[in-house]
Amino acid sequence: MTERHNTPALERVTVLANDRVAQGVGLMRLQAPRCAASVRPGQFVHLRVARGADIILRRPFSVHRARGEHVEILYQIVGTGTLRMAEKIVGDDSMDLVGPLGHGWQVPDGIAHALIVAGGLGAAPLGMLAEDLAARGVAVSVAMGAPTKERLVARDVFERVARKIEIATDDGSVGEHGLVTGPAERLLAEENFDAVYTCGPQAMQRAVARLAADADVACQVSLERLMACGVGACVSCVVSTVGGLVRACVDGPVFDAEEVVWDAP
Amino acid sequence: MSVDVDMRVTLGSLELRSPVLSASGTFASGREFSNFVDLSRLGALVTKGVSLDPWPGNASPRIAETASGMLNSIGLQNPGVEAFVAKDLAWLADSAPETPVIVNVSGHSVGEYVRVIERLESESGVAAYEVNISCPNVDAGGMAFGTDSVAAAEVTAACRAATKRPLIVKLSPNVTDIAWIAAAVEGAGADGVSLINTLLGMAIDAETRKPKLARVVGGLSGPAIKPVALRMVWQVARAVDVPIIGMGGIMDATDAVEFMLAGASAVAIGTANFIDPTATVRVLDGLAEYCHRHGIERIGDVVGALEV
Repeated sequence: MTERHNTPALERVTVLANDRVAQGVGLMRLQAPRCAASVRPGQFVHLRVARGADIILRRPFSVHRARGEHVEILYQIVGTGTLRMAEKIVGDDSMDLVGPLGHGWQVPDGIAHALIVAGGLGAAPLGMLAEDLAARGVAVSVAMGAPTKERLVARDVFERVARKIEIATDDGSVGEHGLVTGPAERLLAEENFDAVYTCGPQAMQRAVARLAADADVACQVSLERLMACGVGACVSCVVSTVGGLVRACVDGPVFDAEEVVWDAP
Repeated sequence: MSVDVDMRVTLGSLELRSPVLSASGTFASGREFSNFVDLSRLGALVTKGVSLDPWPGNASPRIAETASGMLNSIGLQNPGVEAFVAKDLAWLADSAPETPVIVNVSGHSVGEYVRVIERLESESGVAAYEVNISCPNVDAGGMAFGTDSVAAAEVTAACRAATKRPLIVKLSPNVTDIAWIAAAVEGAGADGVSLINTLLGMAIDAETRKPKLARVVGGLSGPAIKPVALRMVWQVARAVDVPIIGMGGIMDATDAVEFMLAGASAVAIGTANFIDPTATVRVLDGLAEYCHRHGIERIGDVVGALEV
């Protein structure tokens, strides 16, 4: 991977677009030239969504895609902060971000075929990766899942770059009926992959990691944790690994699946 | 910002080039903020708590956001004093040699506090100690020492006997009369006090009926606690002669001025670092601007200048 100047900075951002793209899910496009120029797939930004004193902490979001001077963020409206985000109008310049932050996906030299497994909003950090892999000539297959058709996100992004897409929904409203681990397991059995990249609910990532291990394919996971600072100081976002407790914000959020101790409290 | 306001302050025998410090536990040992802040502009860098042995910290979730604040129950996770010397102190000596380092010392017992200090006495890169007798997130030691004037004095006296370096004691707000505790540690040999540490609190998820922190209770910080912190700084300033490092919800220079007016000789920036990694120098610039606007030549003239 090309090494670029990648140190984080505080950057004021302007909302270029903010659309509802699935049930309860927004896609925000931000003018953020400094971050856009250096962010790598799997890295995140720490977004200050409100300047008032009532909600004070930033919110971490994986960069979904970066293009030119823009970064895109997929967010699920789950609480006060994301509700504020949903209310932002085009032209809003009240927010700032700290980024790019964290360690993103590793793409080993020479890989030819990658499997991406996205569960629900887990598609967020995988969009930019899929585009990056395709641009390098890596064949990309995607297994994506959601509770229902209305909550499936980023299908269009994956369709543009993937050679094959398999979809599963809990209610069968699109694709096959069941969990995303179904198509993931089938694809792993049918084809030879050099790498598996996954993000989604932790139980799903753990299941995918096991499928990949059984197929003897290296697997990376992107883990979500509550965090305050995002830069490694507060030690809120710890992840249990075989090497001990590490910080998701600076040592992750992407980890080799075999390093993660899934059963830790 | 201007060069002609004298921003120097003294904390006992410590001469600091500015009154703005980092608050322990919110700034690691500075490295994480070195992309954002010129560390040499800090009056001093107060490190995260350092214990004798490695401490694993508490279970997750360790934080919860609350109205105008946050709760944490990190539990002083740290790799112990040997790793601190080898990694953090070495990095600071190399990368921020002009920044005075105040090491925050934690322990489960009086003996552990003393042994951390004893280990650090031979290290040249330590300007002072801040004895943490106020962490609400550990079972043994921590806040237990800071909520009992006899125990507070005992820890202070033992640490005092172990060093001639400036000794600052960080006080807990989770007491009935913080001035009483401050007077006790002053009497036991403290050269200064810092206050306040976090206020013990909790948060509950009504939908799941579960506490938001794995440890159920944690320490509240952020703008929500500023009025309590100001009141306590003011009370302590009237009760003791040693200098005060004031903290608790400082988000901007105006907040910092308020703490100095109440009697703090210096201020520490804590939770604000999480929201704005440049908060320390932003507050510092704002203090200079305040002085200009009010025709103040020395920031020290603001200390205790509250007009009641």
